[in-house]
Amino acid sequence: MGVLSVRGLTKHYGDTVAVEDLSFEVERGEVFGFLGPNGAGKTTTIRAVLGFHAPTEGTAELFGRDVRDESALLEAKRNVGYLPSSPAFDGDVTGRRYLDFHADLKGDSRRAELLDLFTPPLDRKIREYSTGNKQMLGLVQTFMHDPDLVVMDEPTSGLDPLKQEQFNQFVRDERARGTTLFLSSHVLAEVRRICDRVGIIRRGHLVALEDVESLLERGGKRVRVQTDPPLDPGDLGVAGVVDFERLGPEARFTFTGDYDALLDALAARTVLDLEIEEPPLEDVFMHYYGAAPDAREDDTEADESRDDTETRNDAETHDDAEGRDGAETRNDAETRDDPGADAGTRGDADGA
Amino acid sequence: MPDVTRYEAGRRVRGTLALTLGLGVFGLMMIAIFPSISASGVDFEAYAESLPPAIQAGFNVSSITTIEGFLAVELYQFLWLLLLGLYLAYAGGGTVAGDVESGRAELLLAAPISRARFLLEKFLSLFVPVVVLNLVVPLFVYGGVIAVGESLSAVDLVAVHVLSVPYLLVCGSLGLVLSTLVFRSDVAQRGGIALVFALFLLDSITADTDYEWLGTLSPTRYYDPTEVLVESTYDVAGATVLLVAAILLVYASVAVFRRRDL
Repeated sequence: MGVLSVRGLTKHYGDTVAVEDLSFEVERGEVFGFLGPNGAGKTTTIRAVLGFHAPTEGTAELFGRDVRDESALLEAKRNVGYLPSSPAFDGDVTGRRYLDFHADLKGDSRRAELLDLFTPPLDRKIREYSTGNKQMLGLVQTFMHDPDLVVMDEPTSGLDPLKQEQFNQFVRDERARGTTLFLSSHVLAEVRRICDRVGIIRRGHLVALEDVESLLERGGKRVRVQTDPPLDPGDLGVAGVVDFERLGPEARFTFTGDYDALLDALAARTVLDLEIEEPPLEDVFMHYYGAAPDAREDDTEADESRDDTETRNDAETHDDAEGRDGAETRNDAETRDDPGADAGTRGDADGA
Repeated sequence: MPDVTRYEAGRRVRGTLALTLGLGVFGLMMIAIFPSISASGVDFEAYAESLPPAIQAGFNVSSITTIEGFLAVELYQFLWLLLLGLYLAYAGGGTVAGDVESGRAELLLAAPISRARFLLEKFLSLFVPVVVLNLVVPLFVYGGVIAVGESLSAVDLVAVHVLSVPYLLVCGSLGLVLSTLVFRSDVAQRGGIALVFALFLLDSITADTDYEWLGTLSPTRYYDPTEVLVESTYDVAGATVLLVAAILLVYASVAVFRRRDL
């Protein structure tokens, strides 16, 4: 039995389908990455799993308890830690007061130990906190009651690269302690460093569920190379070159073959410049999960605009009853997007 | 005290103390001008009778030249019934809508705490202003009355405050209902104010008309400070109606909140 089981989960907001017939299991002790572009339905899934949003159809179980049953859900939550994508706090209390409050609700057996690792200024009011400090406070409250399952929505989005590496190490240590981790991300490079297994969600559908290793193998690498003379298609004579294109003197392609063969082929030429990097998540989708190549541009755009649509629709469901204006509501919908966008840029820079 | 209530109550302490001090000092100032009003010889009764019926009813303007009547109109009809009623509706409107809107509710509800408990405990924190104001402000009032050489029935004074508690709770729970219906704190808060004010008007403008029965919808119909102070009549039945209404409204809020996507 999985620690977290999602069974045929479907969530509609009015006419918008946020997730459709989603099923997967997170096993005890693994780090599961829930990967997908912004607006794919990651947060919706997490909200349904934690009982914040009622599933339209299907359900989820935490430690075998159905999340639709509130008393069962509460029992399960004793053992769950949750970190939203941009955690919001009461600004008028100090970090210490806030943690005391959470300790009353769920316990704090690990608080001291976590505060050695993460160091938000506890005696200051939270409204004075930087994004990084808020994220650290959020991490402490997520883990302080020593939960067996931790759910994190875009956990590294507010962290600078140094803290991000610290966070990765922390996740590995947690895994070694036996904690099960479920974390969402839209950056492949982030997930590959810490996850054992990955579920990929796209437009509300689960499109892949596999080990990080095999995902990366299938995803290949993005290669940019300048040689003298410039390469033409077929010049390399190596298997696994996909989507070859030439931009001036630079050749660009995705490589899924044997690295030795590629390096040998390149070594036989004069290499002026070479970059080998993680492919963007969208490319992994394009090549391995069935999107037609000519749909590529549209697809990317569609995903982005969908992001807006989803959050806005989300807002609208909140709006319906009271007729507020969707576009300017729920500031959090916007703030939730922003760090995501940041992380995207950072992720890209990281890869390059 | 339950965990959420203790936490929320702590956050209300500062604002409550400021409000208590403000109302206490305002009360003293009003009482301080009473001697000159009663000594001025101006016919306030005639002035009061010349006011439109709705205003007479709304603020229960009567016997303004006695200290009881003066307090009833200037302090209790205006400050307690209207201003505090609006304040409680505003505070009630802010209970959960803001938490849900900002995402703070997610962090709390990820802990093993039911939505019903979350809502109830938040509502209970409204007792902080209700209790503190009703304990402290009468001390200011009584002291002020003694200081200007007047006298006032202490029992009536206690009664006017005790009977205001169910009224204020109804105002708070009207805000609470809005807070669960509209997950936007500014809308819920302003809506709470508008609702209580509209009910106050409804009671006032229908007074002495064929539509007077409409006023029974308004909580202001069941709490009359003038009656308590001037006539020493205590409307216990009215207070009971208010208490039952408050409980039903809170119950309705829980029912709504449990069903909604946050």
